[in-house]
Order: sequence, then structure tokens, then C-alpha cells
Amino acid sequence: MTTHVATDEKNYLQEGHTLASWLLTKDHKRIAVLYLISVSFFFFVGSIAAMMVRLELTSPRGTLMSNETYNKAFSAHGVVMVFFFLVVAIPAIFGNFLIPMQIGARDLAFPRLNLLSWYFYMAGGIMFLIAMMSGGVDAGWTFYTPMSSIYSNGQITLALVGAFVVGFSSIFTGVNFIATIHKMRAPGMTWWRLPLFVWGHYATSLIVILGTPVVAITLLLVVFERVAKIGIFSPELGGDPVLFQHMFWFYSHPAVYIMVLPGMAVISEIMACFSRNKVFGYHFVALSSLGIAALSFIVWGHHMFVSSQSMYQGIFFSFTSFLVAVPSAIKVFNWSLTMYKGSVWLASPMIYALGFLGLFTVGGMTGLYLASVGTDVHVTGTYFVVAHFHYVMVGGTLLAFLGALHFWWPKFFGRMYPEGVAKWNALLVFIGFNLTFLPQFVVGWLGMPRRYHYYYFAPEFQVYHVMSTLGASALAVSLIVPAFYLTYSLFKGPKSPPNPWAARGLEWEAAASPPIKHNFHGVPVVVGDVYDYDAEAEELALRGMTKEEA
Amino acid sequence: MISLKKMNQPQDTVYEQFEDLAQQQETYVLGMWSFLVTEVMFFGVMFMSYIVYRWKYQPYFYALHKELDWRIGGINTAILLASSFSVALAVHYHQKKKKMNVLMCLGFTNLCAISFIVIKLLFEYIPKWNHGHYPGPGFSWDNPYVPSHIAQLWFSLYFGTTGLHGLHVLIGVILFSVLMYLIAVDHPSISDYLPTEMLGLYWHFVDIVWIFLYPLYYLMPK
Amino acid sequence: MSEHAHEHSHHITPISTLVKTLLLLGVLMVTTIAWAQIAPSALKDVPPALASLINNLIAMGIAFIKAVAVIMIFMGVKYQSSIVKLYAALGFLWFTLMFIMFADYGTRHWEAVRGWTPGVKQMAMPRADEPYEEGMPPRKDIKIPDEHH
Ligand code: HEM
Ligand SMILES: [Cu+2]
Repeated sequence: MTTHVATDEKNYLQEGHTLASWLLTKDHKRIAVLYLISVSFFFFVGSIAAMMVRLELTSPRGTLMSNETYNKAFSAHGVVMVFFFLVVAIPAIFGNFLIPMQIGARDLAFPRLNLLSWYFYMAGGIMFLIAMMSGGVDAGWTFYTPMSSIYSNGQITLALVGAFVVGFSSIFTGVNFIATIHKMRAPGMTWWRLPLFVWGHYATSLIVILGTPVVAITLLLVVFERVAKIGIFSPELGGDPVLFQHMFWFYSHPAVYIMVLPGMAVISEIMACFSRNKVFGYHFVALSSLGIAALSFIVWGHHMFVSSQSMYQGIFFSFTSFLVAVPSAIKVFNWSLTMYKGSVWLASPMIYALGFLGLFTVGGMTGLYLASVGTDVHVTGTYFVVAHFHYVMVGGTLLAFLGALHFWWPKFFGRMYPEGVAKWNALLVFIGFNLTFLPQFVVGWLGMPRRYHYYYFAPEFQVYHVMSTLGASALAVSLIVPAFYLTYSLFKGPKSPPNPWAARGLEWEAAASPPIKHNFHGVPVVVGDVYDYDAEAEELALRGMTKEEA
Repeated sequence: MISLKKMNQPQDTVYEQFEDLAQQQETYVLGMWSFLVTEVMFFGVMFMSYIVYRWKYQPYFYALHKELDWRIGGINTAILLASSFSVALAVHYHQKKKKMNVLMCLGFTNLCAISFIVIKLLFEYIPKWNHGHYPGPGFSWDNPYVPSHIAQLWFSLYFGTTGLHGLHVLIGVILFSVLMYLIAVDHPSISDYLPTEMLGLYWHFVDIVWIFLYPLYYLMPK
Repeated sequence: MSEHAHEHSHHITPISTLVKTLLLLGVLMVTTIAWAQIAPSALKDVPPALASLINNLIAMGIAFIKAVAVIMIFMGVKYQSSIVKLYAALGFLWFTLMFIMFADYGTRHWEAVRGWTPGVKQMAMPRADEPYEEGMPPRKDIKIPDEHH
């Protein structure tokens, strides 16, 4: 698995310094950096909206803003975080950067399409920003009809078009990944030698191309209804608004796996590297990604238990929802076992990965509460659901994102960040997160509805909300700190060696940090197995021995 | 000097991310097919909505389908089939690098696409609009057997589905025109038959949508 | 690279095959139109549900054959690798998952709802009205206004 790595050569960051050399680049690594910048921006926007929501809820009387402003705040938060951060972040930044490198290719299959997808992302994002500034959106990220089609005020139409456009950005990325993973692998890179990162992204891309068009056209139909009176979901015309929910969740449940599968993909890499061990049950972890992708399409009705969906369909979906937990659990168990007999190294990426493991498990388990029809009827529409999905999406995807950022930062920019600060910060993320969302489980179970901007009917909930807001503030601090030390490291950080973690995989072993424009000199030839870490030998080596001697 | 007889482009360029031509071509075909998967799902929503409502309002839908003239739809079906054939032929000639034939086939395809749109507008959309058969406040309806709101739902489905299909035809017209121009001037980006093949795949897909749309809306809603 | 070590020159579909396919498509088109014209009289004595089934099977069956012909020959999937064949089928297969919706629409009327009113203009997917039994609380009947009020 080795090619000579020359370090005195121009890396991809030095291939041009003009603005045009970035905005017109076809290099997957530069596009990844473009995405990194823009996704961070949208994450910031979404966080501001989240803080508005949290601040409002510190008081039971809803003193800070009107109910309409509150609706706009949580809608902005949901839309921005889901469509412009979670769905995009890991695939478009890390997938883009790493998939070609991990399979030994010079670039993605369609570099121009890749650039186009970034422009679509930006176009959709700007449309949504304009919609937010010029009247806002108050229908929530789910855009249920007839709320969104008939009753809603504000700039729903523009926001929907923005979401439609950004959907095409993910479709382009998905198409690109599929073609690349199938056709561009280096000699010797068989499917069973692919890093799990690539497997995870392959499954994600499948969901993207199968699901995203469904929500895109569904949102477009709402636009049609608003501007052209084409009323397919309109009860006025004898249409069924619940059909919108069917179509919406046909995509949006799979979409939660679009959000978390790339996170899982990251965790597999980090777990292996920082346990110095093969991923336990590699084949199962790889196939469980495909299993999740397939199963995720037949559970959508668990979001509709209390819509007017029939009870019989509810029972069906309840059952299938339990099934989808199986492949997720397979992954969690296998990661845990990866640490067994490994040599666990608590560097900052690993702390994030361990955080992921715990939080995702809590999120997944509470998902099973919600998947039981009887329980769900009680807690649906409460903060219990909010806590559930934040445990999986923030505790899962966001932590994986931060872990990936720390793990591959030296690969992206060739600099090291202050590891000590990073470790403590990772701990702060974990604490802040739990302080924010654990109380929400409780208050939700007690009956606090979601999307309400006051709760004067139950002032005893205030203590939970205040705890939650305090946690959110801690979380905010723990997200600002990395922004500072990572930016600092870009300029002042010590240069990193090509492989600071002694990690395995083509991207670390066969390429420089930062990589050259074409990633490798020549085409790497893969002979060894994936994740051929040897914890035992490494521990012995620390004591100056080889395996034979011991 | 541009000749119409034979292709003068630099032949068979392999882009830098690929190893050889075969890999490049296979990748493009697979990429296009995975994009077509999204298109299938895209139209799938329109068909599914239609199926749900026809199942629910079957007798009304039967009465309503008589609002459409199967002859006009039939002509358009024939037009699309012919254009599908001619674009397959264009790929055939492009593989043999017969430039004039490629251009003629593509030109015929484009002509078909344009006539499809013109027929649709002149004989269907515009008369329906003039009759007030467009959903919305101005909808006028005098068939006592079908409630007005169901008729609007049906016309919503009809305009939505055929409109999206028509949009795809329109995009096809634009792309075909661009492709013909690029081929005619020996543009370096047309280094092999793949662009024609890609656009052909797209066009066949547009045809397939119509293959299902035509019987569902024009022929048999019973 | 791994998957295309076999250097195969691309397949050129002969014109005769294309022409035959076109003819097949034309014949099928005429068949489906012709059937639609004679169906109402041909199926006069068949129970409506069965007639509808026959109609749908014929029309969709023909459309299906036409689509397969286009995909296989015109789009050349017949001559492509199996992964392309898989992707060609994938979208159509996945579309069928949407039919799970009928587990909802097909069973809503099994659940009777007390005092169900189909709404002013007849709601899309009505439920049955639960019959009144002794001891039940009185239900609130809502008068349904006329369509042309
Ligand atoms: C173990 C697997 C999971 C199961 C069984 C499950 C189950 C559920 C159920 C039943 C609901 C609906 C609750 C309600 O509205 O009453 C729900 C909501 C939600 N879940 Fe999960 N879930 C699982 C995993 C995940 C994952 C991995 C994610 C995201 C990464 C996620 C994200 C969400 C979101 C965003 C919602 C709320 C949607 C909304 O109404 O706004 N879930 N989940
Ligand atoms: Cu779900």
C-alpha cells in the first residue's frame, strides 16, 4: 500500500491563490473546503435561531417574542440545521475530500458536477436566507399541508424552492459518489477492502438518489399549490393532506439516516484508529449500512401515528420500525467490541467518538419508545420527541462531525491544533449536550408540547427549561472554542507529519498531508487488508520488543 | 474548415481523473443511470398521487378522462416513439462517427420534441385554459355528474404531471439544440459518442414516462 | 482498475434491431389504443370490478412491455454490465414501495369513527360512521351543506 510521498511538492492548497482558483475549482478537495466554509456559516445561522428558541423558553409566559416570531425561529432552526447542515455536512465535506483518496482515485468521477452541486447548495441557501429575512417561514421544517399551502404567512414559496434546489445539490453529490465508488477504485481495492467510511457513504448515496427526489417534488407540489392552484394535497378539492405527510416522510425518515450514516461512517474510522484494532465484524458493519438504507424506506409511518393514518398501517409501521433498530444496534455493538483488546488512545477525535456511542444509543433506544404506537400516542408532539432526535442528530451526527474535523484536520490543512484544549472541549460538548437535552426527555414525558412558545399552564416545567438553556449556552461555548483554535492552528499551528495518528488507509499512508492535487503519485496498488492495525505489536514495540521476542 | 461529413474533433479524450476510455464510458453510463433513478422516483410521486385519487374517485375519473382527446395523445405518443428511435439511431451513427447522419437524427428528434410541445399547447393546454378548465377560482364546470372540486383535483393532477413531463421535453429541446451545435462546430468537448448517448438516455426516459402517462390519463381510467 | 480489466469495445446496436424495436412499439401502441376503444362494449357484461382489473392489467401490461423494450434496446441496457442493469431496475422497484400507502388508504374505513362527517365537500378518505349503541354519549351530528349552496 505504499507510494513514495514527496513533501516538497505543491499541495492542493498551493495550486493557485486567487478567488477564481477556488470558485472555479474542480478539485474535490478544494470543493470540500468550500463546503466546509459555507456549511459552517449555515450552522452558525441555525445556532442563532436555536438560541432564540432556548431563550424564549426560559420563561413560562413567552415574554421575549410573539408566538409568530417564535414559530419563525424554530422553523428557521429546523430547516437550516436539517437541510443545510446535517444532510450536507459530512458527505459534502469529508466524503468529498476522502472518498477519492480512500479508494485510490485522483478525483471524483464528475468534478464539474461536484462544483455544480456546491453552487446549487449556495443558491438554495441564499434563497432560504432571503426568505428568512423577508418575512420568515412559520410552518416548521416539516412544511405540513394545509398549513404550508393555505394558511401560512411569510415566504414559504421561496423557502420551498430553496429546499428543492438544495435537494438537487445532494442528488448530484450522491450520483457522483455512486459512480466513483463503483468505477474508480484503485487496483486491488476490492469491496471487502473498502474502508467503512466508503461503505457508509455508498449507502447514504443510495438513500439520497432514491429519497431526495420524492421530497423535492412533494415540496414543489406545495409551491404549485401556492402559486398555480395545482391543489394535489388540497382538502378543498377533495385531496388528502395526509398524502403530503406520506410523501414527505417517505423521504424524511430515510433522510434521518442520510444524516446519521455518514456520521457512523466516521465513527468506524476513528474507532479503528484510536483502538489500534480492526473494526470488529467489519462485514456486518458494512452490510448493516445497506440494511439500514433499505429498511429505512419502509418505516415512514411512525411519524404519522396520530395523523389520520389508519391504525392498521400504524401497527405495520410500528413493527418495521423495530426492525430498523437492529442494524443500528449491530453497529453500536461492533464499535464497542472494536475497543476490546485494542489499545485505546483517548485523543480528541476518540473522545467525540465515545460520546457518539453513548448518545446515539440513548437516542436510538428512545426511538423504540416512540416506535411503539401506544407510547407514541402519549408522547408525540412533546419535548420527548425533540430530545430523541437531538440525541441522534446532535449527539450522533454533530459529534461525528466534530470528531471527523479533528481527525482529518491535519490531512486537510497540514497543521495540528492544540490537542489539550481540544480534549477538554470535547468533554465540554458532551456535558453541555446532556445538560441541554436530558431535561427535555423529562419535561416531554411530563407533557411539555413542542413548538409552543409558552407554558404558563405548567410553570413547574420552568426548571427543566432553564437547565436546558444553560446547557445550550455551554454547548454554544464549546462550539465557539474549536472555531477559534482551529482557525488559529491554520496560521500558527505546528506543521503536522503526514500521518500524525499512525492511521491506516490510503488517504494517510499513500498521500501527503495536505495532499497534492492528484492525491497520489501514480496509481496506488492495494495489497493489504483494510484496518490492519496491530495493537499487540504496537504495545510491545513501546516496550522495545517484537512479537517473536515476547 | 468545418466539414459536415466526418467528425473532426480530437477523438476519444480521456479526462484526467480516469485511467482509460472504457472506464470513463462505463462511469458516465452508470452515473447517468443513477441520475435516472432519481427521475423515476420524481415522477413516481406524481403517478402515486394519481393512483391514490383514481382509486378513490374511480367513477369520476372515468368521466373526466373523456375530457382528453385520445387522438391527440396518440399522435404525441407516436411522435415520442419516433423521436426515441431516431435518438437511438443518432447514437448508432455517432459510434460510427458519421457526422451528417448524427446531425440529421438529432435534428429529427428535436423536431419531434418541438412538435410535441406545440401540439400539447395548441390542442390541449390553451383550449382547456380558454374553457376555464384550469383549477383555481376561475374554474368553470358544467358536467353535473362530476363535482366541480373533484374535477379541479383531476385537472391539478393532469396539469401537474403533464406539465412536469412537458418541462422535461423542453429541457430536452434545449439540450438537443446545444448538442447539435457542439457537434456541428467540432467542439472539443464532444470527443466521443458519450454526450449523445447520455442525452439519449435522458430522452428515452422522457419517452418512458409518457408510455405510462398516456394510457393512465387518456385511455383507461376505469 | 479493478472492475474493467476486461477491455471490451462498446457495443453498437445494429439498425435492424432498432427498427424492429420501433415496429414492436408501434404495434403495442396501436393495440393499447384499440383495446381502449373496444373495451367498454367488449366488457359490457363483465362485473365492473373485474372489467376494471382486466383493463388495468392490459393497459399497464402493454406499457410495461413497451418500457422494457425501450430500456433494453434503445437505452442499451441489454448490452451493459450487470450493475447498470441493477440501477436500471432500482428506481422502478423502489417506486413500488410507495404502495405501502395503501395499507393506510385501504384500511381507513375499517376503523369506524363516531359521528364521522365526510366534510363539506366529501373528504378524500372517509371512515365509516360508528353505529349508535345504547349508553354511548350523544353524538354531535353536523349537517352537511349542499354542494351548490
Ligand atoms: C433506532 C432507530 C429509530 C427509531 C425506531 C426512531 C423512531 C422515531 C419515531 C417513532 C419518531 C416519531 C415520533 C413522533 O413524532 O411522535 C421519531 C422522530 C424523529 N426521529 Fe427517530 N428513530 C430512530 C432513529 C433516528 C435517527 C438515527 C435519527 C436521526 C439521525 C432520527 C431522527 C428523528 C427526527 C428528526 C424525528 C422528528 C421528526 C419531527 O417530527 O420533526 N431518529 N423517531
Ligand atoms: Cu423516522
